[in-house]
Parts: sequence; structure tokens; C-alpha cells
Amino acid sequence: MAHTSARQPHHPLWTRAFHGFNLVVLLVMAASGLQIYNANPVFGGRGGAVVPELFTLGGWLAGGRDWHFGFMGLYALNLGLWLALLVQRRRRRLGELGDLTALKASASAPRRRLSAHRIVYTLMLIVLAFSLISGLAMYKPAQFWWLTSLFALAEPLGVTSWQMLRVSHLATIPAMVLLVLAHVVLSWRVGGLRLLRAMTL
Amino acid sequence: MNRRQLLGLGLGGSSSLFLGGCALNGLSAAVGDATQPLNERIEALLQGQGKVPEFRPDKVEPAALLVNSFNGVPRLDPERYRLQVKGLVGRPLSLDLGALAALPQHTCVMRHVCVEGWAAVVAWSGVRLADVLRLAQLSPLGGYLLIDSADSYFESWDLASALHPQTLLATHMNGAPLPAANGAPVRLTAPIKLGYKQSKWVTGLRVTAQLGERRGTWEDQGYEWFAGL
Repeated sequence: MAHTSARQPHHPLWTRAFHGFNLVVLLVMAASGLQIYNANPVFGGRGGAVVPELFTLGGWLAGGRDWHFGFMGLYALNLGLWLALLVQRRRRRLGELGDLTALKASASAPRRRLSAHRIVYTLMLIVLAFSLISGLAMYKPAQFWWLTSLFALAEPLGVTSWQMLRVSHLATIPAMVLLVLAHVVLSWRVGGLRLLRAMTL
Repeated sequence: MNRRQLLGLGLGGSSSLFLGGCALNGLSAAVGDATQPLNERIEALLQGQGKVPEFRPDKVEPAALLVNSFNGVPRLDPERYRLQVKGLVGRPLSLDLGALAALPQHTCVMRHVCVEGWAAVVAWSGVRLADVLRLAQLSPLGGYLLIDSADSYFESWDLASALHPQTLLATHMNGAPLPAANGAPVRLTAPIKLGYKQSKWVTGLRVTAQLGERRGTWEDQGYEWFAGL
């Protein structure tokens, strides 16, 4: 053994592989999505500000679409498998109403952090599922017209269902960035570098 | 390693990932080639032969319809305009605007979706492409429709989409004659395809059994061919 330090704990290989795979797929979807955004910015249209090239993937619109629609199937399968495995064997990681109470009332800081983390984790899954639904509604607005029409709720305010769709699909990126940051910070409080290494190496 | 060093490592690592993203741009077409055949098959399965729901006529958004042109705006003389229909047809046609106007007229109030991401509700009116193809006695050997435009824009469609009841050769937009910038005198429209499939200034229709090397002005640059909605 080359290692001289104390034995490094590892999560099972499939957990680490899945975790890393999630990260890669999400980065691809977000970066290619921002590339598509730049073809006609949701805010401002043709004159609107574009996302810096650093954060985009694909090089131009067709390239962005290649990645976005190339990975969407993988993304959906990945999310479906993740949800199924969670419900099957890691249900305790999901948030529940008790967590909200604990967050407000528990005297124990670790208990509050656990509750916060379970809520963050559950919110991530909800946001990811929503990105899939809103993406599908935009990808197939004629075939899934019923899905697209769900986004007509702001029409009385003058926001078309299409604009509502574009804004809400885009909003999943900042939402996920915040949730992932919260996830990293909360994980750090639990296990620090050791946990990070156990999860990635 | 302390927390600060780790943070530095994380930032360095993620920026190299973004730099890697630039190198990855060269792989875009390969990713598309690997995944589009399956995606297009699913798209074709999803697309039924029935009509998709239409919008109320008062929902049209004339200001939202942007104009994209590949090669300027060709001005076609309506008197001399002819629509050529040839290829795998029993009866090749050369139709003038009067002949098109004599066919049953239909209106479709649909969401016109551009590949760029914007969309506009438009009321397109004209004849069904299916009616024109049947008038030309479409051969059962036909599988694809090639569409030529006056500005040399080129498109190719699968016949199932071309025969869809809401696929029109439009001569009117929002109740008025089609403006030149929007494809006058005749353009293709359909609620089931992205905007770049809907050729403007259509002058020729050719039915073929196979797709050739050229699949479309934008498709040959990298856009999806089926481009269903």
C-alpha cells in the first residue's frame, strides 16, 4: 500500500460512479442549454445579453442542440434510476414534514443540518424533474400541447405560455447552482475533506 | 490540505473543465450523429397523423414573428409565378396562383417555433400540401419531398409530415396576403415542424424515394433533419 495515512473510507463504487455521472450530465445539460439560450436570449431577445462562451458547450446553436438533445435521454434515464433507487433503498435521505419542524424547533445543530440537507436533497430532485418536464414541453409543444398549456397560468398578466416555459426552464440552472452549493456546504459540515474524498475518489 | 487550498483546487478544476468544454465543441456533431437517429425515430413515432390543437384566431402575435432570411428577400412576380410538382408523381404539375386558389382553402392558427428559441402564434392560410400532391397523383413509391425555393433555400421532408392535414402551402398570413418577407407568394407552414423546415418562396416540389446528399440548407450545416414539434 502506498498510502501512509489512516485508511480512507469509500462509498460503494456504484454510488461514486453515479454521483460523478450526475455531475457530468448536469454540466453538459446546463452548458449546452446556455449555448441554446444565446441563439435568442430569453431576456431581451436578439438584442439581449448573451452568456459568456466560457459557460457554453457546442460552439454554436446546432452544436448546443447536439449536446442538449444527445444527453437528454441519458439525463432522463439517470434521473429515473436515481429516483427509483432512492425510493427503494435510501428513502431516509428524502425530506419530510418532520424536517421542517426540526429545522425550526430542534435544539441540536446536527439534527437541524440533517433536516436542512434532506430538504435540499429533495428539492434538487424536484427541480431536476421540473427541468425535464419543462424541457419536454418546449421540445414537443405540438405533440405534448397539454403539457405546454400548463404554462399558460401567467397569461392574464401578459406573459405567454411560451415565455413562461422559457423562463422556468432556464430558472432550473440558478436553482440547481444554489442547491448544489448548499449540498456541498452541508456535506462539508458533516465530513469535510474526508467525506469529499470518500465520495469522489 | 486546508479548506482554502481545496477551494483553489476546486476552482482550478472547474475552470479546466470549462476549457475542456471548448475542446469538446469539436465533438458536437459526433454526439448529434450518435443520438439523432434514435431521437428522430421517437419523434416520428410521437407525431400522429391527426391534427394538433389550434389557437383562437385572436391569439395571433404579429409582432412576435421575426423574419429570418438565408439570402435576402426575392421578389416574385405573381403573374409569372408557377409551382412545379415533379418526381415520383403520375401527373407532373405547373400550377399558377389561380390554380392554387381554386383548391380548397384552409387556415391553421398555430405556434410557429423557431430553432433559435422564440415562438409566435400565426394564422396561416392556403391549400393543403397533401391536396397538391394528390392532384399530382403521388406515387406510392415516394418517401420524401424535396422543396426548392426562389432564393435557392433547400429543404427535404418525410412524406408523412408533408401529408399532415395542417401542413399548408400558405398564401395568406393573419388574414392578409403573404408579405414578401414572409415568403410571398407561396410558403410552406406546419405546426409540427420547426421554422427552418417551413421554406419560404416555394417554387418546386419533387417527390423522391430516397434522401440525397443534400438534406437541407441548414441541415447540411448541422441542424436536425426531422425537426418535429
